[in-house]
Amino acid sequence: MAAEQKSNASPLQVIKAVFWSFLGIRRRAEYEKDAVSLKPAQVIIAGIIGAIVLVLSLVTLVHFIIS
Amino acid sequence: MQAAHDHAAHAHGHDAHAHHPSGIMRWVQTTNHKDIGTLYLIFSLTMFFIGGILAFGIRAELFQPGLQFWRPDFFNELTTMHGLIMVFGAIMPAFVGFANWQIPMMIGAPDMAFARMNNWSFWLLPPAALLLITSFFVPGGAPAAGWTIYAPLSTQMGPGMDLGIFALHIMGASSIMGSINIVTTILNMRAPGMTLMKMPLFVWTWLITAYLLIAVMPVLAGAITMVLTDRHFGTNFFNAAGGGDPVMFQHIFWFFGHPEVYIMILPAFGIVSQVIPAFARKPLFGYASMVYATSSIAILSFIVWAHHMFTTGMPAAGQLFFMFSTMLIAVPTGVKVFNWIATMWKGSMTFETPMLFAVGFILVFSMGGFTGLILAITPVDIQLQDTYYVVAHFHYVLVAGSLFAIFAGTYFWLPKWTGHMYDETLGKWHFWLSLVFFNVTFFPMHFLGLAGMPRRIPDYAMQFADFNMIASIGAFGFGLSQLLFVLGVVKCARGGGVKAPDKPWEGADTLEWTLSSPPPYHSFETPPVVK
Ligand SMILES: [Cu+2]
Repeated sequence: MAAEQKSNASPLQVIKAVFWSFLGIRRRAEYEKDAVSLKPAQVIIAGIIGAIVLVLSLVTLVHFIIS
Repeated sequence: MQAAHDHAAHAHGHDAHAHHPSGIMRWVQTTNHKDIGTLYLIFSLTMFFIGGILAFGIRAELFQPGLQFWRPDFFNELTTMHGLIMVFGAIMPAFVGFANWQIPMMIGAPDMAFARMNNWSFWLLPPAALLLITSFFVPGGAPAAGWTIYAPLSTQMGPGMDLGIFALHIMGASSIMGSINIVTTILNMRAPGMTLMKMPLFVWTWLITAYLLIAVMPVLAGAITMVLTDRHFGTNFFNAAGGGDPVMFQHIFWFFGHPEVYIMILPAFGIVSQVIPAFARKPLFGYASMVYATSSIAILSFIVWAHHMFTTGMPAAGQLFFMFSTMLIAVPTGVKVFNWIATMWKGSMTFETPMLFAVGFILVFSMGGFTGLILAITPVDIQLQDTYYVVAHFHYVLVAGSLFAIFAGTYFWLPKWTGHMYDETLGKWHFWLSLVFFNVTFFPMHFLGLAGMPRRIPDYAMQFADFNMIASIGAFGFGLSQLLFVLGVVKCARGGGVKAPDKPWEGADTLEWTLSSPPPYHSFETPPVVK
């Protein structure tokens, strides 16, 4: 692991990767870029935040429907 | 034999992992991923037939209205045990068996990371299965509360329930150890050059499945432990009279139960994603999106559990939330189905048995997906809860989904595992009979459910008679067709048929096909280099 020189990904790139992962689609080229630049910890944290955001937006949607 | 000479000096070589004992001890002591994979698959096949015999009992009783064969409470034992045995004894161990055989070979490793723990994970299963089956013979009989073992039913039953709970505990421990092993193997033992994004999709789906298992098996263990203490140690977790809440059991169970559904289907997706490109002679379309869709399904599987509980009385906000989140899962699942079809598009396809099962999987599993979507709609679900529509739905997912993928994978890799080709004619018969009888069995159940026939009952009103008779005939046919599978596998394993080349499938391109058929004892002694 240490041998591989990893360029750091910007938070925006992580967010974008996680967003597309929720949809389940991703361009091959983008994916290859993600695969070299994203760190697993970044992806996991972004994934958890993404899940929380998804839950909150669903809750908000539901809130507007029933109020 | 020759090992006996090497070790003649020692009375017993207690720590000689380099020598292979013969006979039964080879299997008891084995730390080899292929031997353990074989053990898992044999165990799973055995449990599949035991569960199948219970299903025969169910369908025999339901062949006609009225009580023919069983006491009503024994009928409940049959449905419960059929579910528990098929889920925990047949489907899950089968996929772990595939993982054991395939993952080290597909990532270019010599074996699994924790070889001894691997042995232990397997050998926990037979005692657990024994406990589960013994429960039929204790006073009060086997667990009869449904495979979901809802409280308060499960807190009231006889000692059979305790045996069931212990069995689940042991199987859960086995699954967790198996998963730790799989995660460690995948993350640490890949051949040089095999980055995560170059892993075969079967390996990817198992990596994600293993994380799901590690996350939810302890939840199941917690739920059943609370049932156990409620039963024997005076706690009141699920006892309303003591301030507990029976509905809480359902929440905890389904927080495990829904991801469990994906535990049983993601490795199936993985197998199909290996088989389809091999027989379409094209690389998998949208590899990256397949990986992303799998992770997406895994994450979403944690926020949908209460769609199993719409009838327990939930505020409208809860109903809407779980309805919307459940429907979102259709998106990544749809992406997958689209990618499989796009892989086949303009491919030069041939339809050997593995491909037949994979294509059959796509068609019939999609049907189960659609009925799942229908059941996600709260008002529809409230009508259909606990009817045969639900039974039809999850058998389309688990039989046409998981089981067909297991068949596809078995025929696909049997030549590699045994060094012999399976009997193609027999395989094709097995496929077509399975497909036809599967639909004859379960398609009418949609109508039965829509007409209001409840599940888990030994008797029914006259208007359900015709469809039940059709379903029973289909079930007997389906069960008997599986003997063809056993025949095919046994013939192949005993060395019948043509010798298999290293790569019997023209379009297959993963690492296991670079090994001999059957592969050497330690799959890759020197790691291959992946470009
Ligand atoms: Cu569910």
